[in-house]
Amino acid sequence: MEQKKYLFSIFYVCVAASVLAGVLVHVFISSHAAFVWQKIPGFSAIYGFVGCILIIVLSKALGHHWLQREEGYYEKH
Amino acid sequence: MIEWIHPGLIFIFGTLLIPVLRGKWKKAYLLLLPIAALIDLILMSKGVFGAIPLSVWHIRFSEYVLTFGRVDKLSLVFGYIFVIAAFCMTLYALHVKEDGHHIAAFLYVGSTLGVVFAGDLFSLYLFVEIMAWASLFLIWYRKTRASSEAGFRYIMVHIFGGVCMLAGIILYVQNTGSIAFNAFDWGFGWSHLASYFMLTGFLVNAAAFPLHAWLADAYPEATVAGTVFLSAFTTKSAIYMLLRGFPGVEILIWLGAITAVYGIIFALLANDTRRLLAYALISQGGYMMAGVGMVSGTLLAADGAIAHAVCCILYMGLLFMAAGAVLEMTGRSKLTELGGLYKRMPATFWLYMVGAFSIAGMPLFSGFISKTMIIESAATMHLPVVWLMLEGASIGAFLIAGLKLPYLTWFGKKEPVVEAREPPWNMLAAMGITAFLCVFIGVYPQALYGILPYPVEYAPYAVGHVVAMSQLLLFTFLGFWLLRGMLHATPTITLDTDWFYRIAGKRFIWFCEKPLLDFADSIDKVLKDIANSFVWFSRNPTAASRIMVLTIGAVVARPFNPAYMRYERDLEELRRMYPNESVHRVAIGTGVLLVLMFFTLYLIIYLTHGVLWV
Repeated sequence: MEQKKYLFSIFYVCVAASVLAGVLVHVFISSHAAFVWQKIPGFSAIYGFVGCILIIVLSKALGHHWLQREEGYYEKH
Repeated sequence: MIEWIHPGLIFIFGTLLIPVLRGKWKKAYLLLLPIAALIDLILMSKGVFGAIPLSVWHIRFSEYVLTFGRVDKLSLVFGYIFVIAAFCMTLYALHVKEDGHHIAAFLYVGSTLGVVFAGDLFSLYLFVEIMAWASLFLIWYRKTRASSEAGFRYIMVHIFGGVCMLAGIILYVQNTGSIAFNAFDWGFGWSHLASYFMLTGFLVNAAAFPLHAWLADAYPEATVAGTVFLSAFTTKSAIYMLLRGFPGVEILIWLGAITAVYGIIFALLANDTRRLLAYALISQGGYMMAGVGMVSGTLLAADGAIAHAVCCILYMGLLFMAAGAVLEMTGRSKLTELGGLYKRMPATFWLYMVGAFSIAGMPLFSGFISKTMIIESAATMHLPVVWLMLEGASIGAFLIAGLKLPYLTWFGKKEPVVEAREPPWNMLAAMGITAFLCVFIGVYPQALYGILPYPVEYAPYAVGHVVAMSQLLLFTFLGFWLLRGMLHATPTITLDTDWFYRIAGKRFIWFCEKPLLDFADSIDKVLKDIANSFVWFSRNPTAASRIMVLTIGAVVARPFNPAYMRYERDLEELRRMYPNESVHRVAIGTGVLLVLMFFTLYLIIYLTHGVLWV
């Protein structure tokens, strides 16, 4: 349990550091953006979070309603 | 002085001694072969070697030349990584008792090297076929019913791919008169039919959507060590063939992006750990295909595809090694039956996580320095949708291989669900070396960039890249942690495009055997009845005609003529008198003998008189 807490505190530090670094990069290093969304500060963070949730929800819905079958499906049919 | 030894032949002929050696000597010998091949590769100079004109074998079309050794920067990179992977994987498989397993693995590695150095289409085809058949035995050595059936489906799909390639080769040789293996013409129309066949054959091996199902079907059924070998060679050699044959073909960009996302969705639904990884492997192949397609826009894409193939061989091998170690030690590979193993197998977990961070593309791990090259190419070419799909597949790769699988295998439950311990030393050592290489390439990318064929300036550790990738992955973890309750595994299988040959194919055969055959039988019966009635008629045409007339007469006259009884009596009499089985029947054998005698007689007459008459 102690270890878990320890790991999570590291994780939160990393999150904070990456967000801070993102802001700094956005302000100080003006790299050219290939796409519009790369001008949004913290786009990668948003995309990572939303993308992750979308992948989980869409895949589970696809699997549950259409693609997943009981084991032994191919033996029975 | 031999100026060139084919490194593939070291493996192929090296198999001859495997059954002879015993114990420690055998193990040493197995490890020595990949090292010998590596030294051979390092000593090899660039150029074209081992060219054998077909006229040497007294074949009439002597203008064709088989080229077994086309050594350039592109083939050398693949040669190096295949041999290094072969060493790590052989170490992993060192405890395997069956000689046949080692022989199959070495034939598989050797023929893959044959593909890499093949400069003409005939030898390319030869080695692709050896690859398919050698790898089949890595599946069959599992010796379960499921593996034997999956193996049959595996080889069927590869025979289909091989036939496509062969058709393409024949058409290509017809059109151009050359068997050289270079970039094929691409365009739309019948004149490019050869290219379409070739591309289909290559895409089967590359496991591109929708021709990918064989991989997720067969790889999880192979032996523990066999899957590790399988993960490296077939798909990556196909990427090599695509780079040679179809660089910059636009359709590959889209096929690749779709395959990358498709693999992620199906990996998330998989319950078997090694099937989950197989789908992750398919997804990673998608990146490389997209890279091959984007060569038309930027050479960075070509280097990216090659670098990613190198990194993918290492981290995919490592992931399959660790998942295989769990299967080897616990006998279980389903996520529903695993959990809490961290207390028993922590070393395996941490080694696995090195592979997981690599596939996710975390900075300082190998995937980061190669995957971003391909994503960067999509930005350079201004392909927003492709960029989003590939970036999304990065999220997915981390989610499934980096979070879901390790969470449900090593954690997820308070106590280990099954007794387990760390795998034997050779497996741990193999994982350790592979993990070291993953980190080494991630920390020191110049080692890999230095041997890439095209000179491209690319700085993976630009601050912007590192921050963006870190944010992406950290927030992916956040999303995972919030929804981890939804990610529990279910004891299910997922329908994929193999449904079409497993169920639809079965139903088609049922249709042929039942309704179609019944229909054919009924036609047969009608024709036989007609023939039989002719036979009946011809026995005594006069009497038969009378019977027919009387029968009609009896039917017609019955209501009007009270004397119809007479007809009936006559009819019965006639029928009784009619010759039933009086025709003499001859056995078929006698009939055939008569026919043969007749033909012999005819032949003799023809030969004697025919010649005389001329």
